[in-house]
Amino acid sequence: MSRVELGPVGVYHRVVVYLLFAILLLPLAGTLIYSIASNWSATILPSGFTFKWYIQLWSDPRFLHAFGQSLLVCVGALILSVVLILPLLFVVHYHFPKLDALMNILILLPFAVPPVVSSVGLLQLYGSGPFAMVGTPWILIGCYFTIALPFMYRAITNNLQAINLRDLMDAAQLLGASTWQAAFLVVLPNLRKGLMVALLLSFSFLFGEFVFANILVGTRYETLQVYLNNMRNSSGHFTSALVISYFFFVLVLTWAANILNKDKSE
Amino acid sequence: MSYVSVQHLQKSYAGTTVFSDINCEIQKGEFVTLLGPSGCGKSTLLRCIAGLTSVDGGKILLEGVDLVPMSPQKRGIGMVFQSYALFPNMTVEQNVAFGLRMQKVNADDSQKRVTEVLSLVELNDFAARYPHQLSGGQCQRVALARSLVTRPRLLLLDEPLSALDARIRKHLREQIRQIQRELGLTTIFVTHDQEEALTMSDRIFLMNQGKIVQSGDAETLYTAPVDVFAAGFIGNYNLLDPASASKLLQRPISHRIAIRPEAIELSLNGELDAQVRSHSLLGNVIRYRIEARGVELVVDVLNRSAADLHPDGQRLALSIDPTALREVA
Amino acid sequence: MNAMTRGKWLAALCLVPFVLFFIVFEIAPLVWVMINSLQSEEFGWGIANFTKIFKSKFYMQAIQYSLEISFWSSVFGIIISVLGAYSLRRVDSKLRNFVNAFANMTSNFAGVPLAFAFIILLGFNGSFTIMLKQAGIIQDFNLYSKTGVIILYTYFQIPLGVLLLYPAFDALREDWRESAELLGANSWQFWRHIGLPVLTPALLGTFVILLANALGAYATVYALTTGNFNVMPIRIAAMVSGDISLDPNLASALAVVLVALMTLVTIVHQLLLKRSYHVSR
Repeated sequence: MSRVELGPVGVYHRVVVYLLFAILLLPLAGTLIYSIASNWSATILPSGFTFKWYIQLWSDPRFLHAFGQSLLVCVGALILSVVLILPLLFVVHYHFPKLDALMNILILLPFAVPPVVSSVGLLQLYGSGPFAMVGTPWILIGCYFTIALPFMYRAITNNLQAINLRDLMDAAQLLGASTWQAAFLVVLPNLRKGLMVALLLSFSFLFGEFVFANILVGTRYETLQVYLNNMRNSSGHFTSALVISYFFFVLVLTWAANILNKDKSE
Repeated sequence: MSYVSVQHLQKSYAGTTVFSDINCEIQKGEFVTLLGPSGCGKSTLLRCIAGLTSVDGGKILLEGVDLVPMSPQKRGIGMVFQSYALFPNMTVEQNVAFGLRMQKVNADDSQKRVTEVLSLVELNDFAARYPHQLSGGQCQRVALARSLVTRPRLLLLDEPLSALDARIRKHLREQIRQIQRELGLTTIFVTHDQEEALTMSDRIFLMNQGKIVQSGDAETLYTAPVDVFAAGFIGNYNLLDPASASKLLQRPISHRIAIRPEAIELSLNGELDAQVRSHSLLGNVIRYRIEARGVELVVDVLNRSAADLHPDGQRLALSIDPTALREVA
Repeated sequence: MNAMTRGKWLAALCLVPFVLFFIVFEIAPLVWVMINSLQSEEFGWGIANFTKIFKSKFYMQAIQYSLEISFWSSVFGIIISVLGAYSLRRVDSKLRNFVNAFANMTSNFAGVPLAFAFIILLGFNGSFTIMLKQAGIIQDFNLYSKTGVIILYTYFQIPLGVLLLYPAFDALREDWRESAELLGANSWQFWRHIGLPVLTPALLGTFVILLANALGAYATVYALTTGNFNVMPIRIAAMVSGDISLDPNLASALAVVLVALMTLVTIVHQLLLKRSYHVSR
């Protein structure tokens, strides 16, 4: 449907798209330049260029600690998600297909209810007493699981529907496989790509999460975003280097997801 | 002077040439069909005439005026699309009235003309319905009404019946032709279905790979195909290369021959040197696959009585009307 | 048959861990919030918290600011997104794929990093502020004011808007455009009579999502103003995370108001949808 336009209309569309690109690029570009500038205050362009901010950043143990902790929490949450969601998906789509409608409503909850609101309840329920988790990475892992849930459920559901789960299972079982064997040997390999893409995208999203991280654990388990916020009073160049490093890391992940996605649709 | 005159039309898409030199003339009130396989350029030619696709060279004259520099809005051409293209947010009535609204026709006149054209397509009772509430055939009739109400100088139809089921298609075919005759509207119809082309048109332009291979009325195209492609596309011609033709007719032949399947007679009298390989019943016609003198042929026989039914393996005598033998390029 | 039903029970058992985690981390906090919004230290059960909120100028201002910022950022955001998504569909595929991927990636930039980037560019000493001041376009720009926050919010609405609206243009068939052209409509008439009406459900739906997105946003405005800007999420968080005024019940009530507003917006959207025509699927 989208045909390429030539002539003045085509030029208008190109201009709009370039403008859109420019708008999206600007803050990123500004931060990038700031991170490699030696000095840039109250002038339009910086006065000199240097990499010293990056060197300072990557040799800061607190930064590396925060980076590691973010990684741990995100990976932990994703592992938990996979362990919980894959069986769920399989059971729903194979045994109880009517539950899919219910699930679609349930996964709206993390979207419909802002993290701030959940935090109120979470702090009170798990701040003290038998289930005390606040201030530990465990509560973060649990909350991040609820955030990743909609992404993963939807992505893998689409994948399952595309491969026609019932038919595959039936065919495998007619050929002698037990339900477990069929699930592991036939269904799972076909989900690999969809799963990878969902994981990568969820990871990028989780890595940038701030609300739960700040309200529920804060500095007691400093993730990268909280660390970023806490460093606000240090040099703007330093925080810029921090932002760019974080963004670059996420860029690589989404780029990988993109490649996998394109690969899948061939 | 012809009503519509296409002269030396050229069109290329992304490096490939769709057509390089198309010429055709259409007279006022004619119903003309562009017939051909997918990709032959017929839809592109139609869209060029409508102004929906740009042209790389040549002229398209309508009543003597070149359309090429004109925008589609100004050409006064009506078009019916394969996908109906009814505006989903408007009722049938509003859809049909749209062109009149753009022409700034006043409300009373508009209402009259809309009602008039809706009765032409027999859809007055559906005026307040939305497109998603209509069947395919009804949608197409609304699309037809919408393009007729503006009294266009030329009507274009781009495979309008391809998306409909067989029975509706037959019915609509007749309806379209009838309306066209009543209004005396010059019409260009595009299809890949030869039966449609043969039953509806005054004249047919047979196209292949961007060229008009043959043009003429249905009778001419059917009985006198000009080359192998034409013979292969229209009807179910038996196409024989010179060697097979010589074997079959038992005399030396130096060119390709096309024989219509109904022009071969089967009987049990005479030299029984043909044998039935298989047959299929097509309703009022029985189609036999025959092997005669080492050559495979398709023969169509009218299913008049049990005497015309020959079992597989039956040996028969063939007789071919010599005037039905056509030389093809 | 026994093997089958046994199989089903086993399967249902597999659901238990998921259900457990979901309840613990999603449902339970929600229920707690709803129940405790009706509990107050002084007055026990009742709507005391809500009356306090609606009588307080301070909290009403938070609600008002939240609504204003969400509304304007969504309006500007959707206008830019519509124009952007439409043009994006009409350029060649290389450019299209590149900008699409780029928009996807920049949606990850939202939150703290975005706030910092804006401070660099548009803060009091930001290079953009200086450039625009020198060009005489603006006198005095305060990024930390309501206008500044609206601009910031509009910015992160754009990738989301483009992402959501891009597939909506699929509904717009090319042959409608062609039909309309042949019937005499110019571009403007086509959009007015056919294009925009057909797109309206998608536009409304996206607008609602953008609104909800802005209403619940916390990270960006917190990072920008160190929690000193008066919008609902900031107020809610301030009342539970050990700042000056700890009052989880009041926080719950305000949270309920926030969710109620989001629900209200969704309901209005559904009603508006029913009014407009229906395209059969």
